[in-house]
Amino acid sequence: MAWYDEDSWATAAFAPKLSTIIVVGLITFLVPIFLHYLAYRRAAASAKATKGILLIGPSGAGKTAFLTTAERKSIAQTHTSTAPLTIRATLPSPHVPASAAFRAPGDPSFERARSFNLTDTPGHGKLRRFATSKLNDTLGLCGIIFVVDAAYISEDPGLVETSEYLHDTLLALQKRAASSSKSGREAKELPVLIAANKLDLFTALPPHLAKLQLEKAISRVRRSRAKGLKNSGATLSEGDDGGADEESEWLGEWGEGEFEFTQLEEVGVTVSVAGGNLVGGEKVDVDAWWEWVAERL
Amino acid sequence: MLDTFEILTTSGVVLWSRAYVPVGANIINSLIRDVFIEERIQPQSEDSSSKPTYRKDGYTLKWTSEKDLGLIFVAVYQSLVHLTWIDKLLDNVRALFTGLYGEQLKKEHTSVVSCEKFAPYFERQMQELEGQSDASSSTAPNAKLTPPSTDNDSAEESSPKQPNLLKPQRPLYDTSADSTPVPTPDTSRPNTPGQSHLLTGRPKLGQKLSRRDKKKAAGLNSAPASSGDEAGTKRKGKGAAAKKNRVWGEFGADEEDDSVLDYSQSDLRDDASANEALEEIKPETWGRKTNKGQFVLKDLDEEMDQIIAEQNAKKQSSTASASGGLVGSSLGAIGGLFRNVVGGKTLTKEDLAKSLKGMEEHLLKKNVAREAAVRLCESVERDLMGLKTSSFTTVESTIRTSMEKALTKMLTPTSSLDLLREIQTVNASGRPYVLSIVGVNGVGKSTNLSKIAFFLLQNHHRVLVAAADTFRSGAVEQLRVHVRNLKELSKREGGEVDLFEKGYGKDAANIAADAVVHASKSNFNVVLIDTAGRRHNDQRLMSSLEKFGKLAKPDKILMVGEALVGSDSVAQARNFNASFGPGRGLDGFVISKCDTVGDMVGTLVSMVHATGIPVVFLGVGQHYADLRGLNVGNVCRLLMN
Repeated sequence: MAWYDEDSWATAAFAPKLSTIIVVGLITFLVPIFLHYLAYRRAAASAKATKGILLIGPSGAGKTAFLTTAERKSIAQTHTSTAPLTIRATLPSPHVPASAAFRAPGDPSFERARSFNLTDTPGHGKLRRFATSKLNDTLGLCGIIFVVDAAYISEDPGLVETSEYLHDTLLALQKRAASSSKSGREAKELPVLIAANKLDLFTALPPHLAKLQLEKAISRVRRSRAKGLKNSGATLSEGDDGGADEESEWLGEWGEGEFEFTQLEEVGVTVSVAGGNLVGGEKVDVDAWWEWVAERL
Repeated sequence: MLDTFEILTTSGVVLWSRAYVPVGANIINSLIRDVFIEERIQPQSEDSSSKPTYRKDGYTLKWTSEKDLGLIFVAVYQSLVHLTWIDKLLDNVRALFTGLYGEQLKKEHTSVVSCEKFAPYFERQMQELEGQSDASSSTAPNAKLTPPSTDNDSAEESSPKQPNLLKPQRPLYDTSADSTPVPTPDTSRPNTPGQSHLLTGRPKLGQKLSRRDKKKAAGLNSAPASSGDEAGTKRKGKGAAAKKNRVWGEFGADEEDDSVLDYSQSDLRDDASANEALEEIKPETWGRKTNKGQFVLKDLDEEMDQIIAEQNAKKQSSTASASGGLVGSSLGAIGGLFRNVVGGKTLTKEDLAKSLKGMEEHLLKKNVAREAAVRLCESVERDLMGLKTSSFTTVESTIRTSMEKALTKMLTPTSSLDLLREIQTVNASGRPYVLSIVGVNGVGKSTNLSKIAFFLLQNHHRVLVAAADTFRSGAVEQLRVHVRNLKELSKREGGEVDLFEKGYGKDAANIAADAVVHASKSNFNVVLIDTAGRRHNDQRLMSSLEKFGKLAKPDKILMVGEALVGSDSVAQARNFNASFGPGRGLDGFVISKCDTVGDMVGTLVSMVHATGIPVVFLGVGQHYADLRGLNVGNVCRLLMN
């Protein structure tokens, strides 16, 4: 029975039969619904991925303290972290998330916009791989808070440690942007807030000074990295993959001159600085940080 | 006396704490840093009877941890006091806490665990154990502590007579009081033991306080009556009232009966939420009927023992399950094989043993010293015991990833190793940067010294090489040749290099000191000191290093170890690290001849493992430029495949 026979499927498809009409009707109605469902699912999945803020910074800066404050509105005692932690946090009430600025406070989607994931990472030198792995896994990540002890960076050892970590973080972000632009996708903007903590202490640098100091220290780090020894990687594994990406190794504009945070804006990393204090002082004063978070949500 | 007891998570949040005397946060922080992160102090194995201790600033810390839930239990007390019951306390509290709050702790995306009600349990444990140790101290000071279940009966009997034993029971009464229609006024008071007791004690004299702590302390002293004290006294005052309720005479029993049986009235009076609370709480969970039909609240002790027994039973059953009957074992074996492939298998010591043996062999093949390999495997075993493998991963691959993690963590330096940066900082203070190199004979000290000199010359430093090897014939001449070559090479670069020599037979330490003086006079900014090679287990030769360290005061002491050396590397690193006297050790390793071993770079691991000191440079060839920094990820990959 060939397809052109009288009772073949091709003839039946064009015949005025009830079954044909029903099948055609079903297809006409179901296909658009199905397509819509597919498209909607994909859009919803990307929208639903809860927004996340990542906390990084050297040990003892106050990352976990900020996390606990965000969660329970009061200071909890903390110690050196050895493992990362993610919590669901809610933006405190006077701040309004930027994506829901037009919504009324009672609106359920307003409440939904206010909650976000806050991830704390250990800051100890040996445990920074947690933070770097989190940087690469960017689903829903919409901001990075680099917590800095403003009193600690007023002296040299602290400044060196902090600036090196900040340098590495920013370099990782720059590399991320470079690799995503290479693969054709538009690099997602990833703003960084340098949160100068512990401003209640007498020796703490005010935020604008902290920014200047860090910029200076980073240019020093960049200079000494440029002069430093090459990595053992290529030599030991005997594969010549070193030096392939020479230009993305340097932070900012080809690693020349003085470093400024504004140099990173062209790779989609805006750096802002805000001060605050968590433990100590009269009261917890991190409104500037919350404001920044609110703009990102 | 116990100073502080804290329960904290691995992510650094303190869940519950009780401070009898405030202890600076830096004490526990340094415990976490030294023990959990840098692993400087090796914890003893699990089955040894006593818990590991850590001493810092006159305090002794004992700890135990619950890996699945990520909990650390730390007890801090002054080293002068000898407390025998801390181990028992840690074990009991761990069992209690995990039993009570295990469910809450498993919740994701939160760090809050509402464990305010834990205080009475803890207090009870303390009193029990302290009482035991007091009693036993009269007969035998180190008598083994009897399990709490046996002597609980006596504690129960004595409880009505002793008001201080009654006190902690009151909060439990509160929990039941939540369901009674009319709560007494003091039940609504939140119980915050950690904070309130923080204020009662006085800091130890001479204890180092951070700026923040000082500030806090000052703030507290200025406030005459702190709320914590108030709460404490109030609680004591109310002890009498609580006691009255506790007497299960006619009055107390009647009262309870009223509150429990009068469901209809509570329905009428209370709103819906109270009803829900009533429905949820079954009477059996918080009390039982006596044979006379009177309702009796469950005793705290009973509950506590039950929880501890439950936890212990769980632990035992998990260990015993492996050694089941014949049928059970064969079935288990098939299931185990299946799970081994699919994943979702809970790892036991037996599961791990074989694969770990293989991993150990693999490490040994990579020239890791046996001691280091065994200890690495032990740490992986500790890490993985009781964990569930994730789906579609075998035991082997789980061990592999865990080992890779352990290696990465170990090799990653704690602080930055930027030599140029350090030189800059030291020079800014107006003196030359002094770097000296030590090592066993023939490992390449002079060669690596000249490589470092070449690297510094490329960065336009003025380098003085000091020939402090006054022992081996030809050593000074060798350096002279190196310096001549370097001079030629650095002419274009703009660096400057010179040799400081005093011939043979002189004291090396004095020459080094003279070289530093000479360098600061004639404006050199880096001094590199070459020393004579010495056998690390020869006391006579090694003892001169201490004097050398004191006279020359090097900013950095690097030890050269060759990648070819086998299991001796551990002893080399240890002995050299200890040879500079107390308070001074090595600052880093230079691993030479890396190009001759291929992927067998195990020496690196052994040396770092023995001392916790980072590898700064790798020598990877014969030329001046063949000096490299360490790439941790790469070395790990080489070791693992």
